[in-house]
Amino acid sequence: MKPEACWRPTTAHTRALIGGLLLAVVAVLGRRPDLLVIATPLAGAAVWAAMTRPSTPPTVHQSIDHRTLYEGQATTWRVSFDDPEGRVDDVAVVLAPSAWTGLEPTDGQVVVDLRSDGDDALKVAVGTTRWGCRRVGPALIVASSGWAGFRWSSRNEAAAEQVVILPQLSQFDAAAPGARTAGLIGSNRSLRYGGGAEFATIRPFQPGDRLRRIHWARSLRTGTLHVASTWADQDRHIVLIIDALEEVGDSEGIGGRASSLDITVRAAGAIAEHYVGVGDRVGLLVFGARGVQRLRPAAGSQHLRRLLGVLADIRPAHALADDGRLPRDLGEGALVLMLSPLTTPAALQRAAAVAGRGMPVLVIDCLPTDITQQDPTDPYAGIAWRIALLQRERDIRRAAEAGIAVVPWRGPGSLDVVLRDMHRRSLAGAGRRR
Amino acid sequence: MSDQDLKDSWWLLSRARGIGLVLRVLILAAPLMALGATSAAGQTIPAINVAITAAALACVLAPDSHVGLVAVGLIGIQWLVAVQDPTTPWVLAVAVSISVFHAALAAAIAVPPAARWTHAMIVRWTSRLLVVVAASGGTWVASRLVASFLVAGNAMLLTASLVVLAMGGLWARDGALATRRSRSDLQ
Repeated sequence: MKPEACWRPTTAHTRALIGGLLLAVVAVLGRRPDLLVIATPLAGAAVWAAMTRPSTPPTVHQSIDHRTLYEGQATTWRVSFDDPEGRVDDVAVVLAPSAWTGLEPTDGQVVVDLRSDGDDALKVAVGTTRWGCRRVGPALIVASSGWAGFRWSSRNEAAAEQVVILPQLSQFDAAAPGARTAGLIGSNRSLRYGGGAEFATIRPFQPGDRLRRIHWARSLRTGTLHVASTWADQDRHIVLIIDALEEVGDSEGIGGRASSLDITVRAAGAIAEHYVGVGDRVGLLVFGARGVQRLRPAAGSQHLRRLLGVLADIRPAHALADDGRLPRDLGEGALVLMLSPLTTPAALQRAAAVAGRGMPVLVIDCLPTDITQQDPTDPYAGIAWRIALLQRERDIRRAAEAGIAVVPWRGPGSLDVVLRDMHRRSLAGAGRRR
Repeated sequence: MSDQDLKDSWWLLSRARGIGLVLRVLILAAPLMALGATSAAGQTIPAINVAITAAALACVLAPDSHVGLVAVGLIGIQWLVAVQDPTTPWVLAVAVSISVFHAALAAAIAVPPAARWTHAMIVRWTSRLLVVVAASGGTWVASRLVASFLVAGNAMLLTASLVVLAMGGLWARDGALATRRSRSDLQ
């Protein structure tokens, strides 16, 4: 059905008009009143449709309730329809389903009797099943007059809406302390003494110590001035590196099987939410279809929202879209978390490059655990995957020998053991320096 | 009908649910009912029967096409050829069939196949169908009355009838016997 800007007669009206007229003419010419009986319903419908023909195009407005959603959430596509003449009978709305969206009614088709039902019922629920940027609409709107004699339809392409579907964040919580970082503000304990909140020790007074730090009880007991020293507070700087060069495995949306990119994006979102929630700065670097996308480190909920927006817009590149090098200024002392399915050596090479700059780096393995069973119809696919996994395990082992920790993503506490190890190592390093 | 149109038609038919499905059944059943009534009233021509059935099937696939007009024409021709008694009550059955056929086709193009009909829509379409069926009944009664008089051929009456039909057709085509200016205003 092609959209029409004005009211046009339909095939129904043509049939009623020509059919009724021809039968009536034959009835008159052939002196057959019985044919007039047959012509009557058609002629009646034609006259009825002509008498109730609308002349003014209606005013239509399409809108969506929310432009940003999380996976699994739903919103509503609404159509308001104003018929100035009151001659419109049926108004139908057809919203074509787009990728990773579910509609209610299932086919996205709604029809109302405008005079009795009103246009409030002209709405289609749009559910989302996977993160990403989705185009929803425009809906095809078709209005019909009496006996469907005249029709007006519209598909206003400008009414289409871009909906950002943020990843539903995996559960994540890191109880481990952070690795060494450079800043001296924030909520984490530094390895250095300084003007923080957390008690470190009581030591003799030194020039420059603040008077309010004097520990009077110890000072009176020992006869020399002592001060309570504290650990400096520091913020943590996390850099998330997303390897979106390849998407491995099938994605079935929020309730089903997850691809490597699903796991990567949801895990990255969860990690970012956790660290932003405790006041740390989180930066993002994405290697994907758009080359290298970068989000400067920052803290706060607005930044988290921006970060999730970038994550939602990730598309797999299927090929190296950059020169394979990392930007120089990742941030001194930042903790680098790289999320990758590790199906190509490129990710581990990048991790090695980061580690070579002296930054703590942790690779999070986002390959789906059931990858060998994803195609049960092809017995060779499973075998091929097992061979590829052997190669991959060898690469991971080599990376571990080079000091790059690789941990599989398992949700809450996935990184705790490794982060604690890294913290202990950084403490030992700091002790040696002291 | 192109391959793409045919694919679209099959797809649309496969999406039909509830009343959408009932409409498709009626689109096929109504011409067959008209055929049955015609055969009861006279001797039908098998070739035209086949053509009407084929046209009805095509209408099920493509309700928004002019095949419906072809089906109506064929039903009229079949009646004209097969039935010689203009007062037979079987004509009412054919008129009801034509009404149902036209209403089902019209509803099928106004409402998407999978859309759920509201109660108000069901009531409106049914009541309008009953009105045109009643009008056919009225015409039949009138035709019986006219047939009881032997009216001689009259050129004036014939011309007047044809003029009325032509004017009625023109009016119904545009919705009104509008002037050129007012018609252009509507555009």
